[in-house]
Amino acid sequence: MNDDTSDASGQKLSGAEPMNDLRLGAARKRLAESRGQEDAIEGVREIVANFLGSEEIGLFRVDRRTAKLHVFWSFGIDPEKYDLLRALGDAGLERVMRGECHVDLAARDCSGAMAKVQAFVPIRCANQTIAILAILRLLPQKLAFDRSDMELFQLLSDEAAQPLFGPSAYSKLATEGPGTRA
Amino acid sequence: MMEREILEKSTKHQCVTATDGREAVEKAQQEHPDLVLMDVVMPRMNGFEACKMMRQQPSTREIPIVLVTTRGEESYMEAGFQSGCNDYITKPIDGAELLALVQSYLGE
Repeated sequence: MNDDTSDASGQKLSGAEPMNDLRLGAARKRLAESRGQEDAIEGVREIVANFLGSEEIGLFRVDRRTAKLHVFWSFGIDPEKYDLLRALGDAGLERVMRGECHVDLAARDCSGAMAKVQAFVPIRCANQTIAILAILRLLPQKLAFDRSDMELFQLLSDEAAQPLFGPSAYSKLATEGPGTRA
Repeated sequence: MMEREILEKSTKHQCVTATDGREAVEKAQQEHPDLVLMDVVMPRMNGFEACKMMRQQPSTREIPIVLVTTRGEESYMEAGFQSGCNDYITKPIDGAELLALVQSYLGE
């Protein structure tokens, strides 16, 4: 074994950048090889816990017909007590709905306690936000998100919709049309 | 297991994966690996229990075991060492740290 890394073609790489590429590649593969929705959800949990350092996660589906957000799945939080809209704020929500990740560096969670960092990642399909992944309190040893984490957010945003929601992600868009605000 | 992807692409080692603690114990007995890298939180049997079982089996007693955990507090990991693990690494996984740790047990 050595400190070098190999890319997909087997060529040797070295340094910190390839390590980030490896992390992105591992996350991408985990999503792509998910066996059904339940496994895709577990994949997202693994990516967030193992690579981003949080075990408090919520996934909210955007109902474009009623313009509301619904808890789709959560881990480590009580979804009934978590108010995504309050946590994000109007400006943050608009940003996420437009497709931008929103990172709050020192936010209060719904109970009023200080949460060190929160991130809200739009899950995108056909250029529309169909769900929001909320990454809440970080593990104590993880102090902040860094640039490589942002790349992981982008990967989740671009590539998680299909494994998580399957063909329904597209079919709902087709029948409901664009332009709804959560 | 995403760590498998990192290890196999950056080392010459081959990885065998298990989906839960019980399967990890079974595979360790069958495969006799040079190192076990195991999450603490797993279905059916957690990492501490799996570690204890491997230590009780003659065929797996000597295999180095590294636990992957979200909690690195001394009091918590004391339970890990009591179960027989050799080392631990905390989440989020730092690829370079993971490689260095594996390398310290398996060499280059």
